[in-house]
Amino acid sequence: MDIEDVFSSKVRMKILKVIARVGELNVSDITRRLGANYETTNKNLKILEDEGILQHKVFGRIRLYRFNEHSSKARAVQNLIEAWEHANKN
Amino acid sequence: MARYQTVFKDETKLDISFVPSRLPHRDRELRLLMEFFSFMLQFPGKMAQRIIVTGDVGTGKTVLSQRFGNDITSEANKRGINLRYIHVNCREYRGSLFLTLHHIVSIFHPNFPKRGYSPEELLRMLMQMLDEENTYVILTLDEFESLIEQEGSEAVYKLTRLQEIRQGKPQRLSLICILRSLKAVEQLDASTRSTLQSNILRLDKYSSQQLKDVLNDRISLAYKPFAVPEDTVSLIAELASSEGGNARFGIELLWRAGKYADAENLDVVAPECVRRAVSSVYPATKKSDLEFLSLHEKLFLLGVARAFKESQKASISFMEAEQAYAIACEESGAQPHSHTQLWKYLQTFSNIGILKTEVLQASPRGKSTRIYLPRIPAYDLEKELSALLEKEKP
Repeated sequence: MDIEDVFSSKVRMKILKVIARVGELNVSDITRRLGANYETTNKNLKILEDEGILQHKVFGRIRLYRFNEHSSKARAVQNLIEAWEHANKN
Repeated sequence: MARYQTVFKDETKLDISFVPSRLPHRDRELRLLMEFFSFMLQFPGKMAQRIIVTGDVGTGKTVLSQRFGNDITSEANKRGINLRYIHVNCREYRGSLFLTLHHIVSIFHPNFPKRGYSPEELLRMLMQMLDEENTYVILTLDEFESLIEQEGSEAVYKLTRLQEIRQGKPQRLSLICILRSLKAVEQLDASTRSTLQSNILRLDKYSSQQLKDVLNDRISLAYKPFAVPEDTVSLIAELASSEGGNARFGIELLWRAGKYADAENLDVVAPECVRRAVSSVYPATKKSDLEFLSLHEKLFLLGVARAFKESQKASISFMEAEQAYAIACEESGAQPHSHTQLWKYLQTFSNIGILKTEVLQASPRGKSTRIYLPRIPAYDLEKELSALLEKEKP
């Protein structure tokens, strides 16, 4: 996917912001924080994972998502969000 | 603005959560715990351990486990073993296995969801996390009684027999269960009991001298040099000893007494500060206890209170009390009672708990009696008695 396609979705940007803020979260909690429905969240989590930005771990029925610690794309996104939020605060 | 002066060097060293590097009179127990777990350091994953630590309140169960936890973790790190020591107070989690396990899981994954699975699933997830991170855990379940009361045998059985459903996998979870007495364990069914009771570490009550050593250690960490006189240490040790050798109580008193010293702008923590501290922990003797004393009992106690107020010591001699009583009698125009009668009064006050006596074999001429005023500030006692005697005047 091209960068403009990945970042053109409000849901995906919100997911990235939530995970940047809390570090790691399961699908239901991400859905709740987004105010979206489960399927939409799930679909967009998969896109972000396929792009190598996010990764997940499974514990029983629970899927926990976080930034992919081995991905340079993930680091770049985290830096962008951090710089953006910091600039907005000041 | 007046300069704030304090007797403390670092009062956090008196906090309940502080774990000192040295534990006076618990060296043997600390070594024993290390022995129990030495196998884990030599052959990680080959064996999990289960220990019960038992002893009365304030015998050092919690601090011993935490000290051990810090020591074994640093030893394991030196050897390249991923070991975590986790200390959980079961009462804090209402004795619930689920909440206790959720707390442990949250250490590894802070936003782990709180709903949607059973304690068994949570336990399996925890083991999966430990496997994935190649981590070993020593889990201390403090106030284990509350888990037994709330969950019964089944939960304890699940925890202790966990490894049996993980045949062939590394043994990652060891347990230290802290209890006041083994009575709670007796409620468990026989098979659960047998998995727990193989290693029991009993902590005896601290003696008065041992409490002094514990207090002096903390004083050197928390107070400025010479801020706590020996008399004060003895008084606190006596009080903690009368509370069943409770070192925690003693350390709390030590801190409170320091606060009273600071409030009074004193350079040292006088015994009177300890009495104030005690009366803030326990309600001081009720007024009604004093009202029902006879005139001469009141006068004798008034003399004692004044003697303590003047001397600023932890104890006074019987002779000092007698002399102070004679002055109180002269003030009120009463004829002093005999030495033998005063001795009886002293026994009465001792029985009520207002005074405490100690007989010393000090001189070759015979015994001498020291009188302690452990719980009530001398100033308050004098004020109360003076008011009562004033009311009784014709």
